[in-house]
Amino acid sequence: MKTNDELKEIAQFIAEYATRLLGSGVHTSRVVRNSKRIGQALGVEIRMTTSQKTIVLTVYESESNEVYTEVIDLPAYPISFELNADLSSLSWEAVDNGLTLAEIREKYARIVSKPKIDPIFVLFLVGFANASFCRLFGGDWTAVGIVFSATVLGFFTRQQMQKRGINHFIVFVVSAFVASLYASVSLIFDSTADIAIGTSVLFLIPGVPLINGVIDVVEGHILIGISRLVHSFLLVICIAVGLSFTLLMVKNSLL
Amino acid sequence: MILTAILADGFFAVVAAIGFGAISDPPMRVFPYIALLAAVGHALRFCLMTYLGVDITTACFFASLVIGFGSLWIGAFTYCPMTVFSIPALLPMVPGMYAYKTVFALTMFLQNLKNPAVGEHYMQEMFLNGVVASSAIFTLAVGATVPMFLFSRKAFSLTRRKK
Repeated sequence: MKTNDELKEIAQFIAEYATRLLGSGVHTSRVVRNSKRIGQALGVEIRMTTSQKTIVLTVYESESNEVYTEVIDLPAYPISFELNADLSSLSWEAVDNGLTLAEIREKYARIVSKPKIDPIFVLFLVGFANASFCRLFGGDWTAVGIVFSATVLGFFTRQQMQKRGINHFIVFVVSAFVASLYASVSLIFDSTADIAIGTSVLFLIPGVPLINGVIDVVEGHILIGISRLVHSFLLVICIAVGLSFTLLMVKNSLL
Repeated sequence: MILTAILADGFFAVVAAIGFGAISDPPMRVFPYIALLAAVGHALRFCLMTYLGVDITTACFFASLVIGFGSLWIGAFTYCPMTVFSIPALLPMVPGMYAYKTVFALTMFLQNLKNPAVGEHYMQEMFLNGVVASSAIFTLAVGATVPMFLFSRKAFSLTRRKK
């Protein structure tokens, strides 16, 4: 038997947990399953509905017939697969070991405060990644080198602008423009310039929301799936806009 | 010669997958498995397209199916959800040049509105490349998810430590 205050505490924790998962790039059905599992560990029933911007969830206890409802806004979190894995594990641990709410909260706080991969390390990894992408599409070694530096420059632009909290559509347009403009240096050299310019912006492609969107639609969470897809299409259009600024400037040398 | 071509393809796919995967902050312990899946998937697609003449969308489907089953298998002993492996491993297969050519054709189409003959050519280019790019991306996502539906019980309890 739980009092309404206890239900409220559970609801607030689940709300935080679910928003964190959804923001970290987890597909919806897993978020719902994990939240219900934690509810089960705490002896309550969780019913929830999600959308792109908010989550509505209800905590219900059959014994006392008490209900508590919470509506939460979804803040923008960076994508993190590590949180996806660890928070999913936490939900199983809660149910298998019968953890109390305080214990779950403590473990949650420890998982969330884990350090992220160093941004400068990521910057160079992304540079190498995009450079080998260029090679996969048949670019020559000059193009590969140019794409590497173009990507480092473009990704650095993106990181710096995101740190300052600039609207991410603008971030995508500008980063795509910077990277592709730098990649058009390859026109001076005798190399595969179209491949260099084409691959230089690919590090921006929002792969996680695109694939999660398809998974959500296929699993029946069609509304949130479509919103994720629409959102990632908008980002793809932003990349195209940034790229086409460059193309307009250099198109005569590309033909 | 064929072997070196396949190995080179796998190698560049590994570098691409690790780099793009790092943006999404995966746990450090899964990087070797992401590399393995990316290499196998991309090399398989390369073989299907180069030596068997399969089109890019069908080849993407089979490659992503292999990645999906691989991530289900690896997830069972690393306690990670499937998408942690499958999304970074799929990223090197994104048909980037088709996407680029779509944008290029669109730009050129808009520059040639007064010249219908040239404009028509770019319109056709845009449609062709756009259809290939979007269908390949869609099949990539679907292929990697099919194992999740076939073995949903197993896929949903991958992160459970006490089996």
